[in-house]
Amino acid sequence: MDALLLQLTAVVYLAAGILAGAAWVLSHAWLSRAAVVALGVGALLHGLMFSLLHTAESPPPLTDGPTAVSFMAWVGTVAFLALLWRFRLVGLVALVAPLSFIGVFYAALSPAAISSAEVGTGGLPHAHVLLASAGLALLGIAGMAGAAFLAEYRRLKRKRHLVGAPPWPSLEALDRVSALALALGFPLLTLGVVTGALWVRTLHGAPWTGSAHEAWCLLAWIVYAVLVVLRFGLGQGARRSAQSALAGFAFAGFAVIGVELLL
Amino acid sequence: MKLLLMGMNHRSAPLEVRERMAVDDPVPALGKLVASDEVDEAVLISTCNRVEVVVLTRELESARHRLRSFFRRDLGDTSLGERDLEGYCYVYREGEAMRHVLRVASALDSMVVGEPQILGQAKEAYRTAVECGASGPILDRLFQRAFATAKRIRTDTRIAEGPTSVARVGVGLARQIFEDLSGKRALLIGAGEMIELALTALRKEGLDSVCVANRTAERAAELAVRFDASAHGLDELPALLGDADVVLTSIGGSRPILTLDLMRQALGSRRGRPIFVIDIGVPRNADTAIDVLEEVFRYDIDDLASLATANAEGRRHELVRAEAIVSEEQQRFEGWFAALRAVPTIRHLRARVESIRAEELDRGLARLDLDDRSREGVEALTRSLVNKILHAPLSRLRSEAEREEGMAYLEVARMLFGLDDDENADESDDR
Repeated sequence: MDALLLQLTAVVYLAAGILAGAAWVLSHAWLSRAAVVALGVGALLHGLMFSLLHTAESPPPLTDGPTAVSFMAWVGTVAFLALLWRFRLVGLVALVAPLSFIGVFYAALSPAAISSAEVGTGGLPHAHVLLASAGLALLGIAGMAGAAFLAEYRRLKRKRHLVGAPPWPSLEALDRVSALALALGFPLLTLGVVTGALWVRTLHGAPWTGSAHEAWCLLAWIVYAVLVVLRFGLGQGARRSAQSALAGFAFAGFAVIGVELLL
Repeated sequence: MKLLLMGMNHRSAPLEVRERMAVDDPVPALGKLVASDEVDEAVLISTCNRVEVVVLTRELESARHRLRSFFRRDLGDTSLGERDLEGYCYVYREGEAMRHVLRVASALDSMVVGEPQILGQAKEAYRTAVECGASGPILDRLFQRAFATAKRIRTDTRIAEGPTSVARVGVGLARQIFEDLSGKRALLIGAGEMIELALTALRKEGLDSVCVANRTAERAAELAVRFDASAHGLDELPALLGDADVVLTSIGGSRPILTLDLMRQALGSRRGRPIFVIDIGVPRNADTAIDVLEEVFRYDIDDLASLATANAEGRRHELVRAEAIVSEEQQRFEGWFAALRAVPTIRHLRARVESIRAEELDRGLARLDLDDRSREGVEALTRSLVNKILHAPLSRLRSEAEREEGMAYLEVARMLFGLDDDENADESDDR
């Protein structure tokens, strides 16, 4: 049932991505709105799948990479849909929908989750994955808004017109979304790092084992701590913040996923 | 009589060239033009997007040479060379010139197709030409036809829908920088019609804080009272720029007022907040060097052209309908204009018949012994007979003259009534 729901979610996210792409090619704003609706349906199915997992007799800890990526995709999608209530972000669906699809598709293709015996028991592994994934998803939204800001900034500075394209978010909206996502994502990431350290202590008796994953994740946290200080403490400008958000997420992505795959 | 038009617009010449050719007071230039032998009537249209002269002439080629020297010597900057003239100016003759005037007045040739300002600017140009005696009956008729065409197009098509002014295109662009214009501060530099339009558009977008800065404080105050804005002098610009989010400038003057130093000084207090500068002044009011400033988004009148083109694309169907109306109106004017060819023949024929009538009347009356009342009766009778006999052929000559083949009718009339013989006789008498 869970696998079926995950596959169905992937199909709906893919449909949202296709609609969003068609909106650009055919210059129809209504296709973008339809893509948002499809994304919303996908998020509902995705959420239903996670809630069904928690009703299982022995809920899986979601600590395997594919499930964590899938959860990040869900949090990112829901966060984007929530931000749509406040900001004119419809154009961004063309970026969000494909990313959501990739996250879910990767999870749907991957082997089953790691057994709870390998990760220990209790709420810590679960809390670590939920908090860190949610934090990374929001920081991903910040990075994506940063990338969109830089593209829009470049276009406006070069005075080029998006002929027939669906309405693209304003620079101000992208900057505020990036700031909001950073403000929410960084505390969640911090909690994820703390719960991760506590989880490691329950497994190995010390919060730090010196693994590559731990070292890179700590580095990523330090990078984001610096970005938060620059942005909210030192009043960094919108363009520099966008560049920082994008670079920060690229680094965090490598630290969390790339290191696991490459090192 | 022939029509000739020479000009440059936003498509043919860059802003740097157009601003050098801008004419503040067209009266001296028009005076020089109509004083020359080659030009009988002239109207000069000078706006931020175009400088055009339409003239009535008897000889197209000599008038074209005269207009070339007019553009080089009598308009704006005299450094415009012969090669520049070739590259930036266009020349339209007769039917093409008529059509161009109709299209300009109807805003079909405008940077923002369907914009309402050009009609007012064309009317102003025409009024100036009439007042200084440069326009005559032919150009009067052409411009009246152009104004009627513009009105018809605005009524019968949806060409004026969408962002149809530079100001409104600028406001649309502001919404790509700012999420919500309410709560943002606008600074308008200048107090002309464009500024007034922009103010209206900005208010519609919910922008509630507006400052107007102008050289003449009275005009700024007048505008400020009408639109519930605050009025300032240009000396307050550094402080005003520090607070403004949207700056819209359209003020006269040969040097930019928004310089790099001034903007740097103003940006110091903004903590990286963006500032959107819409410069619709010609010559430009904002120095292009301010583009290097990260927070500044500067768009001048030419930069807005690409947006305008995109707007026009969306109204392609309406454009086709508008062009059809222009063709119809052009045909009507061409008919009237062609009919003017019959005027000398008709005038000549009338004069000849009238002289015959007068001669025969005198001879007849000399033989009769009539009292004054009877004389008047006989005179009225002859006049009535002549008018009735001439009415049908003259009407036919007029209507046939509107067609190219109508020239044959005029020639036959001149031959039948010996009008050319009269002219030759007149010429021998003169000799």
